Amino acid sequence: MITRFLTDVRVKFNPFSPRSKPARLFLSLIPPNARADGMKVETQMLPRTSKEPSTLGVKFKDGKEMNLDLDKMRITEVMEEVDRHSRLLARKEELTGN
Amino acid sequence: MPPRIRLRPRALCVRASHPASPIGATYASLATATTPAPPIEQTIRSTPPVLRYPPTQPPSHKPPEVRKTQLHRQYQSLLKSSPLILLFQHNNVKAVEWMAIRRELAIALQKLEDELAKQGREGTALAEQVKIQVIQTNIFASALRVVEFFQPEEGTMDHAQPPTDPRTPTSAQVPQTTNVPEDERFTHGLSRRAWEAASNRKLKLELEPLLSGPLAVVAFPTVSPQHLKTVLSILSPSPAFPAPKRRTNPDYHEPAVQSGLQKLMLLGARVEGKVFDTEGTRWVGGIEGGLDGLRAQLVHVLQGVGGGLASALEGASRSLYFTVEGRRMDMEEKEKGDKTE
Repeated sequence: MITRFLTDVRVKFNPFSPRSKPARLFLSLIPPNARADGMKVETQMLPRTSKEPSTLGVKFKDGKEMNLDLDKMRITEVMEEVDRHSRLLARKEELTGN
Repeated sequence: MPPRIRLRPRALCVRASHPASPIGATYASLATATTPAPPIEQTIRSTPPVLRYPPTQPPSHKPPEVRKTQLHRQYQSLLKSSPLILLFQHNNVKAVEWMAIRRELAIALQKLEDELAKQGREGTALAEQVKIQVIQTNIFASALRVVEFFQPEEGTMDHAQPPTDPRTPTSAQVPQTTNVPEDERFTHGLSRRAWEAASNRKLKLELEPLLSGPLAVVAFPTVSPQHLKTVLSILSPSPAFPAPKRRTNPDYHEPAVQSGLQKLMLLGARVEGKVFDTEGTRWVGGIEGGLDGLRAQLVHVLQGVGGGLASALEGASRSLYFTVEGRRMDMEEKEKGDKTE
């Protein structure tokens, strides 16, 4: 997963729900020094009884926000969604020659 | 092409020059050794049972020499021996950060231990035993299934020959289990029966959704809310369990510790077989004064109940006393009245 262009990650999930797996795996995909490099990661753990769906909010460097409902997605689909915009940004960066 | 047979001309020459003499030749009938008859004790008594495997290594269903099996066994013993287990998710924590976190945890627990020793409590020596440990999630899940669902109803020793039997030459009890893992009488966690019980997919673990992704556990050999409180305040600080202040513990606020703690998430806990979420874990940690505090509360409640009960019982007898006494006074008055009349 391309995480270079993420500036802000907000994850909300209930660990006791089986549908929270993609949310937790997404967190484990963030590289070890991303937080030190300025990515903001906010994790909100819901109580055990809550039925709220797990959600993921991502902000990119160009200001685009993406809100994903993780309840019906697998981790590969989440990665696809995030990477789609990241690849666009990567190509733009390459063309401008930075 | 037929297989080539290598000829050894020298060997042929030797054979030809010395023809085998009939005296030097051996005969099959003479070569068979006769085994001596067994001693008379063996023929009139049954042979004593012999343990067919090392007593610490009963045959296991999966190959015992691989790491997976040994981890499975280790996790089973961890789960059986620790009533309080905290589950954390670790997201790409670096080795340096692990080291820093472990150091802080050890220091904080040692400090708590010293404080308890000062208060005159006997040392529980939990400080050396409580550690954060990264686990293999799927093996841990499987071990948990064995621990939860495999309850062998009888020991292997039930089949053993009783040592009081005078015919047995040894007083050591030897289980009459065979050396194959399929034996139904095995009760250890790596046996075939344990595997069968754990692989029943109809049984669901309460902790099942938690067991995915990278996990680490902190296991406590006893449920001690004070130690839990210390661990929580180090590993997942919250308003109820504040992290140590920068002035009291500057090491805790090093970047290595802090960046590592950002990547640790408390998921839940398993306390004496029950599953608690984050809030529940904090509640367990918030029990004032630990187990002694709980006992004191219980004693207080029971004393209140006892007092109430005593006064209730006393009330009945007291009212009876008053009625009887009233009746006596009444009768005495009547008697007096009779005499005067």
